[in-house]
Amino acid sequence: PFVSPAADPAVISPQDPTLLIGSSLVATCTVSPDFHLKAEDLYWTLNGRRLPAASYAALGPTTLSVALARLNGSKQQSGDNLVCHSRDGGILAGSCLYVGLPPEKPVNITCWSKNMKDLTCKWAPGTEGETFLHTNYTLKYKLRWYGRDNTCQEYHTAGPYSCHIPKDLALFTPYEIWVEASNRLGVAVSDVVMLDILDVVTTDPPSDVHVSRVGDLEDQLSVRWSSPPALKDFLFQAKYQIQYRVEDSSEWKVVDDVGNQTSCRLAGLRPGTVYFVQVRCNPFGIYGSKKAGIWSDWSNPTAASTPRSERAAGGCDPKGGEQNTTLRRELKQFFGWVKKHAYGCSNLGIKLYDQWRVWLQKSHKTRNQV
Amino acid sequence: GDSWGIFTFLCAALCNLPALPALNCTEELGPGQSIQKTYDLTRYLEHQLRTLAGTYLNYLGPPFNEPDFNPPRLARAERVPSATVDLDLWRGLTDNARLAANYRAYSRVLCSLRALDGQGTAELRHRLGHFCSSLQGLVLSIAGVMSSLGYPLPAGPPPQPGGAPTQPGGAAPNDFLKKMDDFWLLKELQTWLWRSAKDFNRLKKKVPPAVVTLRMEARGF
Repeated sequence: PFVSPAADPAVISPQDPTLLIGSSLVATCTVSPDFHLKAEDLYWTLNGRRLPAASYAALGPTTLSVALARLNGSKQQSGDNLVCHSRDGGILAGSCLYVGLPPEKPVNITCWSKNMKDLTCKWAPGTEGETFLHTNYTLKYKLRWYGRDNTCQEYHTAGPYSCHIPKDLALFTPYEIWVEASNRLGVAVSDVVMLDILDVVTTDPPSDVHVSRVGDLEDQLSVRWSSPPALKDFLFQAKYQIQYRVEDSSEWKVVDDVGNQTSCRLAGLRPGTVYFVQVRCNPFGIYGSKKAGIWSDWSNPTAASTPRSERAAGGCDPKGGEQNTTLRRELKQFFGWVKKHAYGCSNLGIKLYDQWRVWLQKSHKTRNQV
Repeated sequence: GDSWGIFTFLCAALCNLPALPALNCTEELGPGQSIQKTYDLTRYLEHQLRTLAGTYLNYLGPPFNEPDFNPPRLARAERVPSATVDLDLWRGLTDNARLAANYRAYSRVLCSLRALDGQGTAELRHRLGHFCSSLQGLVLSIAGVMSSLGYPLPAGPPPQPGGAPTQPGGAAPNDFLKKMDDFWLLKELQTWLWRSAKDFNRLKKKVPPAVVTLRMEARGF
């Protein structure tokens, strides 16, 4: 590659300007005297495309200008590349044009606190977010009755427009929270959201979710779980919800009236079918209040199957169904043998096989989504 | 159909077994194995760089991402020493000099790439972060080879976690020149990875594993 001498071959003006969409621009390229080039030896490109000579004007023996009208938003956030070339195509100088719009007010700020220890907030950019310029978001918060503004530091913890405040939060007192969006063309501030940490509490999903058969009953499964550990520490009660679906379906059935027990029996199920079950938790009555908190995430799906009746079930494909039963039966026998003869394999079992089927379903889903 | 599924499942389950002995390896690698590992790392990084470069050049926009793009290299202070070197000179390098050149180059590249932190789209930042982790691994791997062969690490600015290097020529005075600098940084990095594969191949031949084993036995005597 050609290494040019120390002085810059040419100078473009304006250098790296910021412009509003639709504005016009006249840029000039002045060649350094060391280069013995004249204005008529030059041409311009924008993002690699040659600009028409009709838009050029020679402003002096070594200066060529170009007129750009009604600019569109920048093709890339790093700026449009406006380049001054010598006749043989060599690059003499370049200028990055930042063409876009000022940001719009961020909207839909929602926050939640995990076990009253921290606060995570997310928001959406105003419009569809297309300002063509890189936009910085800053989440700020302050106690309503005291003056000092604080800035959130940990961004992108729950998606691109989110921030996490890990500590030093006060309870029983309202906070004001807002988001500032800024880019090269300006700043926009969202509306202020006011909340008390205690009103937006969520918790971890229930742990140790077990789903098992109810004896030989072919239409029932029993679900048991443990309450999240924070429950003991923070004087709240918990209510639960269960959702379950058949392996091949994407339709979840929700059981809403579980209350605060840590077990539940699902009935009216299909025999000989694999079900996926999830449980989630809502802390309420925090420090005696009557309000509900925010539902936790669903627990990881747990799988179990209802027993198949010995009599032939109607409406099933006998060949496909039979293969499945034989396969599972054989697997169970194999695992029994493995437990006896191989050491350190205590995790192998029919339950692990069911969990694998859940995983397989999930990975098929994501593969199909791509 | 199903039997393949069972096989996959069993493999996955077995992988969950505790205390697979091969993974508990804390023994030190001899120089021969370290060199092989470093060689493998350069090939891996070369592969990773293709994806990173594509993303980064698209971020810079045309003409930077056009296949034949070849801008002038301005005579400003180079961020990274050039990988291109006279063939006879390259052949004549001592092991120490060869390793030191690699160590210095990748340390400077790492510094420069880390200075890019915070720019670009989320996808670019993610790819850059991943690449820098791998590159850090390469720098440490080269350091490991040097120390196992008894060579001192080259002095000079060590790779800093977040600081931009103080370059003799100063930072690029405008955004377009900065884009050109970044373009050449990627090109130079690519050349270094090609050259390193040859460097480590050459070192491999000079430090065969058999020699290492003998040395270890002699020490235990």
